[in-house]
Amino acid sequence: MSYNLWFGKFDGVVVVSEDLKSSFALARNDGPLPFNVYELGLKVFGKDYYRLLRKTAIEFAEEKVEKELKSDDKYVIALVKALDEVEEAMNALKEKKDDLEDVRYTEIQEDFAESISNLESLRKRIEDEIESVMERIAPNLTDLVGAKIGARLLEKFGSLENLAKAPASKIQIVGAEKSLYKALARIRKGKEAKVPKHGIIFTHPFIRGLPKNRRGKMARFLASKLSIAARIDLFRGELEEGLYEAVRKRFEELRRL
Amino acid sequence: MRNVRFFGNIPATKSRYGSHYGEKIFEHGGERYREWTPWRSKLSAMLVKGYEIDLRGEERVLYLGAASGTTLSHLADIVDEGILYAVEYSAKPFRKLLELAKSRENIIPIFGDASKPWEYSGIVEKVDLIYQDVSQRNQVEILKLNSDFFLKHGGKILMMVKAKSIDSTADAEQVFEAVLEEISKYFEIIKSDRLEPFHKEHIFIYCSRP
Repeated sequence: MSYNLWFGKFDGVVVVSEDLKSSFALARNDGPLPFNVYELGLKVFGKDYYRLLRKTAIEFAEEKVEKELKSDDKYVIALVKALDEVEEAMNALKEKKDDLEDVRYTEIQEDFAESISNLESLRKRIEDEIESVMERIAPNLTDLVGAKIGARLLEKFGSLENLAKAPASKIQIVGAEKSLYKALARIRKGKEAKVPKHGIIFTHPFIRGLPKNRRGKMARFLASKLSIAARIDLFRGELEEGLYEAVRKRFEELRRL
Repeated sequence: MRNVRFFGNIPATKSRYGSHYGEKIFEHGGERYREWTPWRSKLSAMLVKGYEIDLRGEERVLYLGAASGTTLSHLADIVDEGILYAVEYSAKPFRKLLELAKSRENIIPIFGDASKPWEYSGIVEKVDLIYQDVSQRNQVEILKLNSDFFLKHGGKILMMVKAKSIDSTADAEQVFEAVLEEISKYFEIIKSDRLEPFHKEHIFIYCSRP
């Protein structure tokens, strides 16, 4: 049995790594170590053990953190796009399967069914990944509207930074640009127009759960909190208690009107 | 508790270090203290409510969900002759945590996922205490895994549970009961209580591994 330790390998004898940072990165094992890594390390490094461990840990983390910060929102955006494609492919396959079914039963249909169920599990995996990354990089957005809508907002704005810079009014109607510009064009001509109240965030139950004439109020409120959430996510990255509570309260108020 | 002193109703930790997150620093009896408000830290809230955990100052501690290091910084003042392994998987707060780790000799920062202890199994030694504040739905499972990997027999666990993270719709009291029951399958519960008014719908659970 060979064990991977932050300072090297152990299989009865200790082989000290030449590059502590890379052995630190690979210090994974299938199960708990049957010995205490500290006691072993103490024999190798003596009283320098913690100093070296700390130095390596800090160097390793510093590099990794910066790298992740740079690419995390891009990753979520790529995942959202992939999710759309997978869903589209699933729908297309389902349609073709139904078309076939109408004509005659063949074994091909089972191949279709298998492909669809494969795509289904792929979709689930993408959704889970979106959820876990979103909780990490945008805990407040995720707390307010869930990972799916939050990720969709990131995708629309291109990055967390852009989202944080955007005015709440833009967050409120993003996803409904077509009807917004249509309405604005009509207004310019002096005609009556219906300006959209909400875009992507419409899918949130707090908005959909209200009668039509109150959805605009809720959307405005939710968007303003989302704007705050995006800024906290960008600069601090920690969950702010109370944001969700405020939104829920507003929803309750509007529901009871 | 070791290195903790109350000034009125607010605890502070004796510290050689400066402010980490904007907390007040002051002198008392020739010693420097860092204010530790119960509103910012669940561990402080627990102390204010009259509970203590026993720490001698030289423990090995595994801290899961260290975030930007607010509570960790005070725990590092308390366990000033021990070692704290601080695990956090979110990059942004980790940056702030790194600042702390660079100035404190007893903090080993680990940028990793607490739900995958095998990934840092060759780094963390056997510990006397696991402190967990992760707000994850499966936080009991995460705790169990980490204690299997790293907690000494007889070692202690202090976990903070937020009802909403476990189940956002259920009644808080029911969530806590379910968590306590789950925990008591693996550990011996020493004490537990709610953290109101400082932290809404939160409890702490202090327990030990048999």
